[in-house]
Amino acid sequence: MSEIHEDYIIEIENVSKTFTGGVEAVRGFSAKIRRQEVVVIMGPSGSGKSTLLRCINGLETAESGAIVVDGIRLDGDKRRRLEIRKEVGMVFQSFNLFPHLTVLENVNLAQRRVRKKNKASATERSLELLQMVGIADKANSYPAQLSGGQQQRVAIARALALAPKVMLFDEPTSALDPEMINEVLDVMKKLARSGMTMVVVTHEMGFAREVSDWVIFMDDGQIVETGAPESIFARPQEERTRRFLNQIL
Amino acid sequence: MKTDGVSTADSFHRAKPWRFLFRSPGKDVAQFILLIVVGGWLISLSTARLGYYWQWYRLPRYLFRIEAGRLVAGDLIKGLFFTLRISGVSLALALTIGLATALLRLSDSFMGRLLTRVYLEVIRNTPLLVQVYLLYFVIGPILGLGRFASAVMALSLFEGAYMSEIFRAGIVSLHKGQWEAAYSLGLSRFDTYRDVILPQAIRRILPPLTGEVISLIKNTSLVSLVSLSDLALQARVIAADTFLTFEVWFVTAAIYLALTIPLSIVVYGMEKRFKVLT
Ligand SMILES: Nc1ncnc2c1ncn2[C@@H]1O[C@H](COP(=O)(O)OP(=O)(O)OP(=O)(O)O)[C@@H](O)[C@H]1O
Ligand SMILES: [Mg+2]
Repeated sequence: MSEIHEDYIIEIENVSKTFTGGVEAVRGFSAKIRRQEVVVIMGPSGSGKSTLLRCINGLETAESGAIVVDGIRLDGDKRRRLEIRKEVGMVFQSFNLFPHLTVLENVNLAQRRVRKKNKASATERSLELLQMVGIADKANSYPAQLSGGQQQRVAIARALALAPKVMLFDEPTSALDPEMINEVLDVMKKLARSGMTMVVVTHEMGFAREVSDWVIFMDDGQIVETGAPESIFARPQEERTRRFLNQIL
Repeated sequence: MKTDGVSTADSFHRAKPWRFLFRSPGKDVAQFILLIVVGGWLISLSTARLGYYWQWYRLPRYLFRIEAGRLVAGDLIKGLFFTLRISGVSLALALTIGLATALLRLSDSFMGRLLTRVYLEVIRNTPLLVQVYLLYFVIGPILGLGRFASAVMALSLFEGAYMSEIFRAGIVSLHKGQWEAAYSLGLSRFDTYRDVILPQAIRRILPPLTGEVISLIKNTSLVSLVSLSDLALQARVIAADTFLTFEVWFVTAAIYLALTIPLSIVVYGMEKRFKVLT
């Protein structure tokens, strides 16, 4: 039994999150994600996708249920929350790069502060990561000097800086101009093929089809339907899934 | 005498009218000359009516004297140095208090938030003059603070309250995505403040903060009321001794202006640059 348990890098059990003001963003959500899996979460606006992701790295605190990431249980404990954040990288819709730091400094920061690396060894890894996302030549630029697609690729490199075991993506391409979407998706696909465990909130069907192992369709804070991308897109079982897919196609 | 909260907005406004002098030079030079002429005329009118005799020649010795072939500072310049010293010490302390108060107010600690609220309300709703006296006559003796220390305490507690509001505004003006990105990287709250939040906030608040420094310099004149020999006290003493009332107070005002106007220009420059950058 314990070996099977080890397979799951993220275990979410019956998690609920109600905001002050009474909005039930996530309601009794459960899911288990294996190592190296790529999971895509879809659902209408306000269905709780962002909130769920943010619960996984402790940016929000779920008021009930259990979240275990790589054997570490998220509870009130501050140190465990920091531990989990080192294991989980996150990429935001609005990039959230640090505008006063160069690209290189953005990627260096966590290595220097969290891993206490010296500048040279942090820079070495950062440049490798920037190479990987195809933006090493901009290392000394400031975020404002980059296009949206370039900024998001820097954000991916930054999130990878601590070599996390899981990467969370919250609509990484929805703030981008259409011609920049692919350069970001390509980096994400490369990451997926390298064996990274990924949880991706996106409405990019092509990406879901190509790299995801399964898709979660969410509405109203709950799972409506899950399944392999081919089957869920071709033959959605639930009326709500069908309606949503019709809208985004 | 203005003793209560010289708010930032307020000091901005006061700094503004003469900034216009720098726009479209020709017109403004003309206006400036007109202002001087009218001002001079009004002054001469009032001194004539008072039967005031200008005796400017008696004033320089209160600025500088030559003693044994060496230039020494007169009482007004000594007062200026004292004003600079008390401003400097109070500024350092006020910045520290301001930042600490802002961070405490934004913290999760209920007691911290409560204490800072009480502090801010008390400071902002009582006149600085009363605070100076209270610290000098009541709290200073209890804590064993000397005259200088209690005056510095009063000034820095007062300015610290206003500066904390500026710090707080700068911090909360940052997009919350900055916090989330830092936290998601595993940064502690301390590191997040140090590396991400404060460097950005400080750029934004430098103009209003400099405005507060101007207020601080002006407000130091109140310490003359507890007999600290700053510029204002020296001026009062010299004026009383020599009856050079007009000369002394004009020069004193000019010295304060010489301190604050460069700072106003700095604020103006920063505001302009900030507008370009954002
Ligand atoms: N900080 C908050 N305080 C109060 N309510 C919130 C907060 N964050 C989100 N909500 C509410 O929780 C619900 C779920 O929001 P969430 O952002 O998780 O949805 P989402 O699926 O990511 O939507 P979108 O596609 O628009 O990003 C919404 O009704 C939202 O208004
Ligand atoms: Mg969202």
